[in-house]
Amino acid sequence: MLRVRGLSLRYPNGTLALTDFELTLAAGEFAVVLGGNGSGKTTLLRCIARTVKPSAGEVWLGDIDLSVLDGEKLRRARLALAMICQHASLVRRRSVLANVATGTLGRHRTLWTALGGLPAAELEAARGHLAEVGLADLAERRAGTLSGGQAQRVSIARALAQRPRVLLADEPVASLDPEAAEDIMRLLQRLARTERIAVLCVLHQVELAYAYADRVIGIRAGRIAFDLPKSQLSREAVHRLYLPAAA
Amino acid sequence: MKADLAPRGLGRPTMTNSWGRALAIALYFAAALLVVAIVAQALIVVEARPQDLITGIHGMADIIRRSMPPDFSRFPSTLWPTLQTVDIALFGTAIGIVIALPLALLAAVNMTPSRYAYYGARGIIGFTRAVPDLVWALLFVTAVGLGPFPGGLALGVHSVGMLGRLFAETIEQMDMAPIQALELTGARRVQVFTHGIIPTILPSLLGISLYRLDENIRSSLVLGFVGAGGIGFQLLTAMNLFQYQEVSLLLIIIFVIVLGAERISAALRERLA
Repeated sequence: MLRVRGLSLRYPNGTLALTDFELTLAAGEFAVVLGGNGSGKTTLLRCIARTVKPSAGEVWLGDIDLSVLDGEKLRRARLALAMICQHASLVRRRSVLANVATGTLGRHRTLWTALGGLPAAELEAARGHLAEVGLADLAERRAGTLSGGQAQRVSIARALAQRPRVLLADEPVASLDPEAAEDIMRLLQRLARTERIAVLCVLHQVELAYAYADRVIGIRAGRIAFDLPKSQLSREAVHRLYLPAAA
Repeated sequence: MKADLAPRGLGRPTMTNSWGRALAIALYFAAALLVVAIVAQALIVVEARPQDLITGIHGMADIIRRSMPPDFSRFPSTLWPTLQTVDIALFGTAIGIVIALPLALLAAVNMTPSRYAYYGARGIIGFTRAVPDLVWALLFVTAVGLGPFPGGLALGVHSVGMLGRLFAETIEQMDMAPIQALELTGARRVQVFTHGIIPTILPSLLGISLYRLDENIRSSLVLGFVGAGGIGFQLLTAMNLFQYQEVSLLLIIIFVIVLGAERISAALRERLA
């Protein structure tokens, strides 16, 4: 579903943020990326989502290489790839339902959507996605009034409305309390299993990775330190990931 | 060990401390002298003569006495100019909003498509703001003749500058995370604008526009003095004809318009917040 080959990113100042990264993610697989601050986790997701252009390497989404696309072609290819971030990033003054339905905008090219309208059928479908994340009764609420956990669920519903094949999650539970964090992780795990979405999730919470991931990828100084099924992962390997660079 | 924990400034005054304090006092003294000097030069430049105000108070009192009571029989003839005054402001504000919004998008660092568009838009906004509305009114009176139309055009052009700057600042301060999230869903640029940017900034833009309308109503009163119609023009005519009782009536109407516009604008802005 998602194949990353020799992905590298060198910043203009010469710093290598990512070096020869290799990754394959199958449909329905839930992989967690662990690593210290500045290790390149978020950069990896940004390169895959093509919000930054990698210096080298390929990002295959199905049979399309995102790394060589630009403009309209990239926009269309990226429809199959959704991303959620640490903060839900909802349009606060719009309703929860409208926020979810905006996930479908990329599929519509009508005057109505250009003028700020949303197709009735997509609004109806958005209700279904809200029900999937357990927030059907909050559809008409203004997004700015939601709690952090609720807002993150809405951002996941928006990602579902996009009908993605791959879901990238950049520290989706970093600003949530432990209970809300568990809820979100359970939801992502369920989506991977039932909707067959490949989920690549960056986390700082090692215990959540142990509890929910199928696979754990360790990243250190922009390189893969390990890429193992959860059952083969040792605590020692994870511990080494967070040691200072000289150690 | 205890000595290490003591606050630094509480120790015995050292030579460095006392010099520092003396320097600080000297700086405060110099700053106070500078303020006094600035105020003094302003008094000299404006040729301030308070004694003239005292000796001339009889003239003012005479005008006030001749203005009383206001001539309410003239009230019906003030209704049309009053409507003109409000409509000049509405027309000018509407023109200002329509032109300022696209300009502000070009003049906002986070939205502008190119550096040239940014500097071009900033230049237009700066120029229309720098030229006072009174000067714009004189220019438009020359172009299209006397009446409310040049007044509306003058307020419109000046509002482009005022609104453009405030709109651009609002757009620059906008939270970009929801906008980037929408871009990531694959939404097109125009969809990002209508579904993300507009709902985010609309309340602020409406608030700024209402405040501008309130300002424009006040300005449209003054524009009448240079021939741009409305109640200001009627006030000037009444003063030139020494009809002070009509002047006092017009001043009451102006007071009601300005206060009413201010209160309505403030109430609406509060609702939008």
